[in-house]
This record gives sequence, structure tokens and C-alpha cells, in this order.
Amino acid sequence: MDINRRLFLGRSGLGFGSLALSAMLQGAERGVNGLAQVAPKAKSVIWLFMRGGVSHMESFDPKPALNELAGKSIGETRFHYVQDPERLRKVRVVVVNDANGQQRNKLYPLQVGSRKYGASGIEVSDWFPHIGGCIDDIAVIRSMWTTDDNHGAQVQFHSGRHMLDPRVPTIGAWVNWGLGTLNENLPQFIGMGPRFFDRSDGHYLGPAYDEVKLKIAPGNPLDYAKPQGDITAEEQRLGFGLVNRLNRLSLDRYPDDAELDARIKSYELAYRMQTSVPGVVNFDKETEATKKLYGFNQNETRPFGQQLLAARRFVERGVRFIQIMHGGGAAGAWDQHSNLKSGHAKLAMQVDRPIAGLLKDLKSRGLLDETLVVFATEFGRTPGSQGANGRDHHPYAFSAWMAGGGLKGGVTHGATDDIGFHPTEDPHYVTDVHATLLRQLGLDPHAMEVPGHKRLEKDFGHPIQEIIS
Amino acid sequence: MSASRSFLVPAVVVITAACSLVQGEKEAPSAELHEDYGKVKELLAAKCHSCHGALKQKAKLRLETRDLMLKGEVIVPGQAAKSLLIERVEDMGEDRMPPPEEGAALKSGEIALLRRWIDGGAKAPAGEPVRQGPGEHWAFQVPRRTDLPDDADNPIDVLLEIRRATLGLKAQPLAQRTILIRRLYLDLIGLPPTREQLNDGRPWESIVDELLASPRHGERWARHWMDVWRYSDWYGLDKQLRNSQKHIWRWRDWIVESLNDDKGFDHMIHEMLAADELAPDDPDTLRATGFLARNYYLFNRTTWLDATIEHTAKAFIGLTLNCAKCHDHKYDPITHEDYYRFRAIFEPHQVRLDPVPGETDFEKDGLPRVFDDHLGASTHLHIRGDPKNPDKSRLMEPGVPGILASFAPPVEPVKLPAYAYAPASRDYVQKDYLVPVRTEVETAKKKLAEARKNATAALREEAKLKPGEKTKSGPTQPDFSVQDDFGKHNPELWEVVGKGWVFKDGAVHQTTATRDTERLLLRPEVPRNFEMTCRYMHTGGATYRSVTFRFDVSPDRNYANYVYTSAHAPGSKLHVAYTRGGKSTYPSEGLVAQPIEIGKPYTLRLAVRDRLVNVWLNDKIQIAYTLPDRKPGGGLELSGFDATVAFDDFSIRALPGEVELTKSKNKEPPPALEPVESVEVSEARLAAAEARLASLEAVFAAEQARGDPGAYKQASKRAARLETEALKAAGEYESKAFATDAGKVKAARAKIAKAEKKLADTGVDRITYTPPRVSRKALETPAHKEGQYPAIYPETSTGRRLALARWMTSSSNPLTARVVVNHVWLRHFGEPLVETVDDFGLRAKPPTQQLLLDHLAADFMENGWSFRRLHRLIVTSGAYRLSSTSADADAETRAADPDNRFYWRMNVRRMDAQVVRDSLLHLAGALDFTPGGPSLDPGDAVRRRSLYFKHSRDQQDKFLKTFNDADHLQCYRRSESIAPQQALALSNGKVPIEMAEKIAGQVEGEDFVGPMFELLLGRKPDADERRECETTLADFEAAATEAKKPNPAQRARRGLVHALLNHNDFVSIR
Repeated sequence: MDINRRLFLGRSGLGFGSLALSAMLQGAERGVNGLAQVAPKAKSVIWLFMRGGVSHMESFDPKPALNELAGKSIGETRFHYVQDPERLRKVRVVVVNDANGQQRNKLYPLQVGSRKYGASGIEVSDWFPHIGGCIDDIAVIRSMWTTDDNHGAQVQFHSGRHMLDPRVPTIGAWVNWGLGTLNENLPQFIGMGPRFFDRSDGHYLGPAYDEVKLKIAPGNPLDYAKPQGDITAEEQRLGFGLVNRLNRLSLDRYPDDAELDARIKSYELAYRMQTSVPGVVNFDKETEATKKLYGFNQNETRPFGQQLLAARRFVERGVRFIQIMHGGGAAGAWDQHSNLKSGHAKLAMQVDRPIAGLLKDLKSRGLLDETLVVFATEFGRTPGSQGANGRDHHPYAFSAWMAGGGLKGGVTHGATDDIGFHPTEDPHYVTDVHATLLRQLGLDPHAMEVPGHKRLEKDFGHPIQEIIS
Repeated sequence: MSASRSFLVPAVVVITAACSLVQGEKEAPSAELHEDYGKVKELLAAKCHSCHGALKQKAKLRLETRDLMLKGEVIVPGQAAKSLLIERVEDMGEDRMPPPEEGAALKSGEIALLRRWIDGGAKAPAGEPVRQGPGEHWAFQVPRRTDLPDDADNPIDVLLEIRRATLGLKAQPLAQRTILIRRLYLDLIGLPPTREQLNDGRPWESIVDELLASPRHGERWARHWMDVWRYSDWYGLDKQLRNSQKHIWRWRDWIVESLNDDKGFDHMIHEMLAADELAPDDPDTLRATGFLARNYYLFNRTTWLDATIEHTAKAFIGLTLNCAKCHDHKYDPITHEDYYRFRAIFEPHQVRLDPVPGETDFEKDGLPRVFDDHLGASTHLHIRGDPKNPDKSRLMEPGVPGILASFAPPVEPVKLPAYAYAPASRDYVQKDYLVPVRTEVETAKKKLAEARKNATAALREEAKLKPGEKTKSGPTQPDFSVQDDFGKHNPELWEVVGKGWVFKDGAVHQTTATRDTERLLLRPEVPRNFEMTCRYMHTGGATYRSVTFRFDVSPDRNYANYVYTSAHAPGSKLHVAYTRGGKSTYPSEGLVAQPIEIGKPYTLRLAVRDRLVNVWLNDKIQIAYTLPDRKPGGGLELSGFDATVAFDDFSIRALPGEVELTKSKNKEPPPALEPVESVEVSEARLAAAEARLASLEAVFAAEQARGDPGAYKQASKRAARLETEALKAAGEYESKAFATDAGKVKAARAKIAKAEKKLADTGVDRITYTPPRVSRKALETPAHKEGQYPAIYPETSTGRRLALARWMTSSSNPLTARVVVNHVWLRHFGEPLVETVDDFGLRAKPPTQQLLLDHLAADFMENGWSFRRLHRLIVTSGAYRLSSTSADADAETRAADPDNRFYWRMNVRRMDAQVVRDSLLHLAGALDFTPGGPSLDPGDAVRRRSLYFKHSRDQQDKFLKTFNDADHLQCYRRSESIAPQQALALSNGKVPIEMAEKIAGQVEGEDFVGPMFELLLGRKPDADERRECETTLADFEAAATEAKKPNPAQRARRGLVHALLNHNDFVSIR
């Protein structure tokens, strides 16, 4: 029996780390478990997640009707039917006695204008003019829904499972698990930005499938990337060399020990990783024009821009999944229960130019075709007002978009009613985004299972065929 | 076959191979013939067996084998079209199988497979075994020991050898002694041996007994059980407690101590589930209920109870009860009703913090424990698991899963002592809560003495006055009035301090410019609210050239309020300022720039009401300022500062109430000093403090008398009366102390009135006292406030949890001992006997070593559920001591059982995260062995054992996490990955580098490589290894010399140690 098979069988659902490593080391493009069943269109994913809940009506699904109906109660408009209890059923109230997730009845006008962009003429709010400028490369999904009425929905958008369900692997972990490495010197699943509700990805796949957390700090971008003590590079080289030779000598002593073999390789990879990663987050060789494209010249856009530029550099080097969270705080900065106008305007400004910069940069380098960019958030916001100037959580309908990786550009898919309350066509649960992404990577979601961990039908989702070109 | 293999190997092989591993490794001869049948069976198992299998047999139909299908008349061999099976799976209407709520319809390819197999004659191998009914499941039979001869070896070896001999497997020899000793140390105490210990020549059993008796053993195994029992420190959002409980470490300490005491596991279960019913007045035992308190969840009671149900069942009886939350269990004989009966056991319980001796602040310490709070809470089945949709028509009575209920003891309510339900009856609580009250009495006494002393001093001053003179003005005396035109010195009015004062020309002159030690001190005491007017002239002086009017001056002059004019140029001004503790403050809000000229007369008028000061200069209001505070009883002084001055005319009077003052603009600063209270206030304060003490003592006496109705009635009457009197006394004190604050006075009067009404109207007989709140119940939902919960808890407990615990530990319970023995085995051998450590349900196949598991489980129960005995049995077995290498092993054995399922050699394991870190520290002699106590913030600087780190969603040590630390949500078995991040942590982390340095310093002498290799890896290096080490040691030294580092030889040794710590065999248990 070969080593991989033995490890796989011997651990039965536990300790897949060894397996992951073997996969990485093999550089198996089609995945360790032979999971790649359809020809892949994309190689990498850049996953952008806006924490807190972006208002869909004031971003990618503008609803001018709200301006006409402003101040009216939903019940007195022609949209009274949206609050039919039967239609509200699929949302689970997580927190008893919580102020969130209540019906907000008084319709609140749009806090920003919108206009049509590009040849496709897709309507985008004025808070996202740069992304609007790229709309012909984007497929907007306006009919997302989820079940979680509080920010545990962030967990749900990544894993498909409610925060109260047992934790299951996130999409990044599955991609990492299902695909082999394209670069033996770099981790394959990198994360940046703030994260709160769930800090691991692999769960039953094991911590080897967690994101490798990165900071934009060329000196020390990675935990344990350099010695926390007085050790010279030469000493380190000698140390790694000795460890390697001694471990190899042990192979004779323990001929069937697959772990020993895996450990030898893990030290080789570790040694390469610690020298490679800092180089990737060092932007010295990027041109001023490129940096400007990502918004390096403005304080507001620089932090997110740096993460996106790093993401592009990782994509160039074959990293599979880069997960970037935006919006600090426990709930997430986009959570505008009040002051929606100033809050969203500020946050949109931080991300709009860098994201557009990323799309343009990827495109000009010919990388957009093989890189899938996802823009998502945990839920939308209520068409009704909360307090004087905010909107509450709205899990019934919201927007996400995807670009590149063999998807259509300049299309919208799905729609909501005129006040953005419920999807009126093609509703998509969050895992449909996962399924679409996996499909483009050449993976069959149904092959993503390990013994002892049955997945539910809704965990797999369905690829959104209409946006696949 | 292991669970994982069944996923890759056709099902038909799995079934026949259950007892014959060796053949199972090869293809079944009839595989070709039955290829479709194998797939059919897989398909039916996935889609149909949950309803039409041994478990449920809906419509009396089973679909597990061809014979059963024929018996159920759902297939007609050769004629798919006539088979009911096909008809139903093809039905698109209401009769479709599986029904929509049970699963998706079969795909066309799957239906085609069924058709092909039936049309082909529905062929299947003969004599297929039929699965038994759920009651016959192996894990539901009480485990029995195997009878062995009296002189038999260790039963583990006997039972393992029976299987090995049958299969012709040859065991490896024992491992080398030092490797064995290292293995034993790491397993039993989680720390590596020293070189001396490695070469311990005593008999194996002596070393075993010594380690089992070591307090380190409890710490090592506590961490294993903390995994299984889901230990987590509290976490939430910022400071909001949402999960687990504060001070839950007390439960961790209970685990450690229980293991070190070798408490029977049956008792441990009793205590974890029901210590509050079993030992309600023993706080040490109550710590055990942290097991349940850990499940606390602020937001949703159902989520909370779901976790309690799921993990109590998984941890102790290895059943996935959680699968029956929404519907009957798909695989196990556990019904939807069973789930809610199990919930009913926990329905009444809640969590609270009890006070611990010496601490009354629950943020600092407390004992998290559970108790039955809502004795009458009813449980209803949630239809499809939806808590919004309870089936109100039926009440779910508490109970264990029906299939194993025959030996369940009856539920009997438990009467609790006052200690448990009225925590204020506890001696130590009373003592702790009385401390501040007694202190207040002492303070009040002291304050009263001070006030009296001040008053006496004032009286003495007064006595200095001549008889017949106007008596001294009291602080509030309204007719106080004094005037002086300084025509001549009036010694009754002014005390002249210092030199240079001259009375001439109808004025008093200060003729030398000093810094205000020379002063005129007004003898009569000035009322609190006064108005002073003075005409004067700056006549010369040095730098500041100020004239100062001080009031509220304390005898030591460290306290004063004052106003002055300064002729200092440039910047002459009028200014209100104050002195506190001898230091002067010159607030900018009290300053007004004013032209003050030498030789020009000014009239300064000063009005003071409470803290508000108004100052006029030449009849023009200039300053309105609020002082931080006023201290009564001080004097009034006139003086110059660096100035010569002539005072012409002076008058002062009590400020009439009708005079309106200008309000200040400055925000009132907080009082800088506690005012000295008057005798009257101090007396009231002492009275209030004494009344409070008497009241609290009476209340505590009443709390203590609970349980004796007669005495309690008397004591509570007295407590009620004294409590009311204390309320009145408090009101009286407050009305005096805050006399100037109308709002507070009003509140205080209301207090008095309330108390008086209580005493008068209802009579002392009927009024009741308020039991003090000395414990803190965890909020049931975020909408609640702690204050709305009663301070006294129910006097009985339902006894449900105790009955559950006794059912679990009944000798008739087939699961509990098996499950725990399996966990212990896993942690000694790296592999469990039953692969699914948290699921012993129907899907758990009989383990390869079932005789062994059963024997150990039975032995465990028969011997007081003693872990120590079990450990001893295991580690003294030959199996435990086998070599872990397959080098030089019998080739046939290696080929027949490569996965070592028959234990012909020892498995190699990787150290748990905690063992990696603790070993580094211990080898360096840096480990701090302090046991127990509050959890520590993770970090590289900590030197205590790793189990004492905080461990929660929000806090987990980074180094430990890298080495697969336990998941705080669920960890029945650690995962064991090999990731490059581990290599980075061990080679670049601060702890390994620091410890390498310390370890390197521990071996001295000529040969460094040999001893160090042995210390770190548990064996001596062979020639090749020694050569590599020696060479690199030299290279390290050369590199250090090259880099001009100090002490290159020692540095090279550190380099070698650091490399050996990164050796695979360091983190491995060989």
C-alpha cells in the first residue's frame, strides 16, 4: 500500500494533515482524491467578505421604489404580502429577545443614488463607482438568501451551516482539501483581515486545512516566519540540514513510519515557506502605477489595497484560496443599524477602488480568466428603517457578485421585488456560490465528503449555471 | 474492518470479512458475479435502510438482503417491471420512495441499476447473514470478562495472543528499556524522564506505581478528560459572558484532584452530573458540575440543552442522541421521544456562581455549579426539532433511551439543606459579608471621635472669648456680622501673626513684603455662607505684589480657598484659587485680567454660598466660580504676598438667603476631599452603621435558622424589624449628610417614611426581611436582570440527574465502562479498540478485540471503576512494551497486518500539543509545578503546565494550536496532523529557542552529543547519528565564530539541542 493510502485508511477521518501535506508535495493539480472531475476553468479564488451586512439596495440591487414609498409602512403598500408569516418562515431566530431580525416596517428611502454602468447597463449605487466601472466583467447575483438572522451568518456564508449547527469545514478548506498545490513553497489557503465568529476552517478535516493567517508586514507576515531569538541564517541552515539528515537516518530504524516521511517533507516545505512568503508581501518591485491602481496613494484605501495586491501576487504564484475579510469589530463594520449613510459611504470608499484595481490588474495580466473573485456579505439590510437612520439585518434577500474564472461578465442573475424584500426569481442559498466556485475549479461538491461526516444536501449547493460562460 | 475502509471497499466484502481479516484483504471470489448486487446494496443502504432495515422495519419491510426483499414481496426476479420496488422509486407522486421529507428521489442511473439487477434474476450469494435486531447489538450487551486461569499472564496479552496465534502473527520483541521508560513517562505524567530516570534499574512495576502516584499524573490525564468533556473557559462578546462560566477552572482542578485520588469513575460521573443532589453542602464536590455549567449559553435555552444532551450522551455512553432531535434516529434505536425525555432530565437545571470563602466579588472568584431551579418546568417534544413548534398535547417525562431503560432507577426528589438553597446561611459567607459592615462601624466611630475633637477645639476657641461678648457664630448663624475700620487693633477680632503689621492713619499696614506667613486671622468663626467686603490698597512690594483673602483655612494651612489681586506687571489680575494638601491650584476659570495699580484703592467684595464664589471689584462683578469643595471650620485671613498693603475697612456677615449670586460657568469639579463631618452627622452615620450591622447579623441568624421552623419564625421576625430600623437609620444619616442636596434629602426622607410606615402599619409580625443575594445566577436570557431572580433557591432538587448518573454507572449498563475503557486504550496505544469513540450505536461494528474490550470493561466495573488499576493493567502488559518498529519484523506478519490491528507491535504516536510544550520546559528545568488555580493567559512567558492555560474560542495558545490542540467545541479524539507550521513553530518559536539554550547548559563534560541525544530522544545515538551531530556541532561553532558571536562553543551546543528538539523522534512517542 502506498503511503498516502495508508495514511488515509489508518486515520479514518482524523489527522488528514498528513494527507494534505502529501498532496501539497505531489503538486497534484487535479486533487489528491481524484476529485477534479470536470475540466477546471479557474485555478484560484480571491474571496472578499464584507463583515456586518452590506445593504443590497444601496449597493448592487438599487430600489428606487423605496424613495417613492419612503415613510410608508410596508403593510399599507402593495408589498404588504412580503410579511406573510409563511414567507418569513425559513429564517431561524437565533437569539431570543434580541433586537435584531425584527420586522422593520417603515420604508426608508435610498441613502445614495445609483446609475447604469458599462455596456451591460447594470445599475450600481454611487458608493461603488469604480466597481461599477468594471461591471462588464462581473456577474451580480441579486437573489441570495440565508437563514441566520444574526452575524453568525458569517459562519454560514463560509460553511453553509448555521452558527448553531455543528461546525463544518469552510469553502476555503474544501478547496484546499480537494485541490493539489501549484507551488511547493507557499501555503495554499491564505487569510487576511479581521475574523470573529469562527476562527478555524478545517474543523473535521483538521487544522492543516485552516487558513494560514497573514499580515501585511514584509518583516514578519506569518506566525513563526522567523526565529524569535538570536539565530543567524547560517545557523538555521545548519540546523535544518542536521534535522533532515538525522530524520533520514531514522527511516532505516522505522521503515513503515509514514509520519516520519511526512515530517521530513514538512521541514523541507517549512524552510522554503519562511523564505518565500515575506517576498510575496513585499511590494518593492511593483510599479507606482500598479500601487495607485490599488489605492496605495490614499490612507482610506491603502490597507485593503495592500491586501488585494498581496492576493494578486499570491495568485500569480499559484496559491489556491485567498480569503480576505473587511470590516473590523465583533459584528463587522458594515453593520449599520444607525448612520447607514455615513457608515456605508466610508466603508464603500475603503474597498471600491482597491477591488476595481484588483479586477483591472488581474485582467491586464491575463489572470482574470483563471482567477475567480467573489464579493460577499452575510446578509442584506432591511428596506424598512431601524431607528432614525439605520437598517436592520435582512437574511431574506441580498446580493453577492462573482467575477472572472470563466464566469460571464456584465450579467445580473436573480431578482428581488421592488423593495428588495424577497427574491422574485432564482433564489440562491449561500452554498450555491460555493458550488459555482467548485464547479469552476473542476471539483464536484458531492465528492467532498469524508467518512464519518455525512453532509446534508443543502451543504453541497447547486452551481448557478446561468452565470457560467 | 475499520470504518474508513468500508467507504472504499464494496459493502459485500465488509459484511463477510467482519471476522476474517486475512481473507478480507483479498478480493472476494464471487465479486464479479455480484458486482451489481454490491452496488444495489450500497444504494438501498443509503436510501432505504433507515426505514426498511433492522431498526424500523416500516410496513414490516426490510431491504437489507435479497431474501428479505423476496419475503417482503417487493421484487420479482427477472421482472423489474412487475417489482413493487421499482414502481415505488419511479413514482413521481405521493407514493414516491423515499418520501420527499426523507430524502431525494433516486437518480435515473440508480433506478437503471436496480432494474438491471432484478431483470438479471436478482442474483445474490447464498447464505447471506441477516443483521440482528437492535436489541442484540453487541454494544448493548453487558460486557463479560473472559475466564482465564488463575496463573495466567496479563489478560491483555492472553487475549491479544489468542487472536495473533490464530492468524499466525508474530509479535515484535520488547522495546529497548530507555525508549520504554520515556514512553511510560510521557503517557503517565506527560513529561519526559531525566537521564537518571531513563536509566532507572528498578523493576518496571515500581516505576509504574511511582508515576501513577505522582501528582503530575492527574494533570496529564486531566487534560485528556478535558478534551472529552469539552473543557472551555468562558467566552462571549467583549465582556459579555455568553458561553461556559467564569472560574470554570475549579472544575478542572476537581478533575485533576479526582484522578490523583483515584476516585472511581462511577463516582466521578455521579458528581459531574449531580453533585448538587449528592453532596449539596460540599463545595469541593460541587466543582464537578462544571461539566454541565460549561454548556451554559446565554441566548438560547434549546441550544444550551442540545449541547448538554449531545455531549453528555457522547462522552459517557457513546450514543449520538443528538441525531434524534428532529426525528427518530436513522440508525440507532433512539426515538424522537427519547430525545425529549432525555431533555426533561435537564429541563429544571440552571447555573449559578456560589461565593467562595474570602471573596464576595464574583468577577474575581466564585464557584460555578448547577442546581435545579424550575422544578415544574415542562418539556414538550419539538415537532421536527423546531422549538417554535412544541407538541403541547404531551408532556415528556424524564427518562433514558427506551431500549436501555429496563435498569433505570426511579427518580426521587432530593431534599436540600439550607446551605444549598440559602447560601447566605453559610458561616463563611456571613463572615465575609459582615467584614465591610463591621469596618464601617469602626470607621464611623473614628469619624465621630474626630468630629467631637474638632467641636471641642472650636468650643475651646470660643471659651477664649470674654464673657458677655457676642458668642461665637455657628456655621449657620444668620445674624453673624463683623465690621472693623482698623482704627486700632481689636484683638478680639484679629489675631496678628508675624511681624511688620502697623495700625496707623485708620488702616492696618503690612510694611514688609513677605510671602504670606504674616497675616491677620479673623477670630470669630465665619458662617459657611458669607459676604465680605474690604477696601485696601497695594502699596508696593517685589515680584507678585498680591493681596490675598483666604477663607476655610485649616489650622495647618494645607487647606484653603482664596481670592487675590496681583499687581504683577504685566499680567495683573483678580483670581480665585485654592490650596489642597498644601498645594495650590490656580484654575483658569477663576481668573480675570484686571489692571491693579500700586497706590490705588480697591474695594473687593466676596460672596460665598456653598461652593459658589462671586467676586466684585469696585462693585463690578468679575468672577463667578465654583470651588471643588468646602471644608467647614476653617479661618479667614488677610495677607500680602510679595507685597506691602494697607487694609482700610473690613466687613463680613452671613450671606442673606435673598442675595442672588451669579452662577459659575466652570463645570463643578468633583469634591477633592471628603468633608469633615459634623458631630451630628457623624453620630447619625455611626447609628446607621450599627443598625446595619445589627440588621445583617439578625438576617444571617434567620438564614441560619432555616430548617427549624420555630426558630426561623422568631429569627425572621427579629431580622425584619432590625432591617427596617436599619433602613430608617440609613435614611436619617443620609438626610443629614447630604443636607445641601435637595434630591438626596428627599430620597432619604422617603426611606425614613417607608421604614416608619412598615413598622407602624403592618406591625413587626408581618413584615418580612430581604434574604441577601450572595450567589449569582447566570442569566437565563439576555433580557433578564440578575436582580429579578430570587436570592433563595428551591428547597428540593428533582433528582433526575442523579437517577441518570446512577443509570449510567449501573452494572447493567453495557455502554459506560466500554466507552471509557476505549478512551483510555486510545490514549495508551494511539488507536482505540472501537474506532468511533463517541458512537457505540448500531453502526459501530464489533471491535476486532471485542473480548479484550469487554474483559477490561467488566474488570473496570468490578474493581471500583478505578482508572489507576486500568492504567496499571495496560502499562504492565507486554503489548504496551513492544517495540514500535517493524524493522526486522516477521515478513508475513508485516504483510498480513500492516496496520497493526492485532497489536503485534506498538504504535508510534505524536505528543499532544501540551506534552510538546511541557516537555520543552521540563527538560530545561524551567517548568513551574504550581498546581491548580485560575486559568492563565496564554503566551510564551508562562512557565506553568499547559493545561492551566485559558482554553476557549477566544483564547488558545498559539504554539499549542499549531500542534492540534483540542477543539473547545468537541474533541473526543485529537487530530494529529503534520504541517509545515509545526516545523516553523518548533524551529522559530520563542519557547523552543529559549529552552534549547537552557537545556544545552545542563550537560557538561567532554561528550556532549551522547548524553544530550539520550536525554532528548530517549536512546543513545548510533555511529552515523553521532558523526552527523559531531560534524554539525563543529559547523555551528565555526559559524558562530565567523559571525563573531560570544562563546561560540556554548552557542554551538544550543544549536545542536535546538536541532534535536526538531528531530521527529522528539515529538514522537516511540
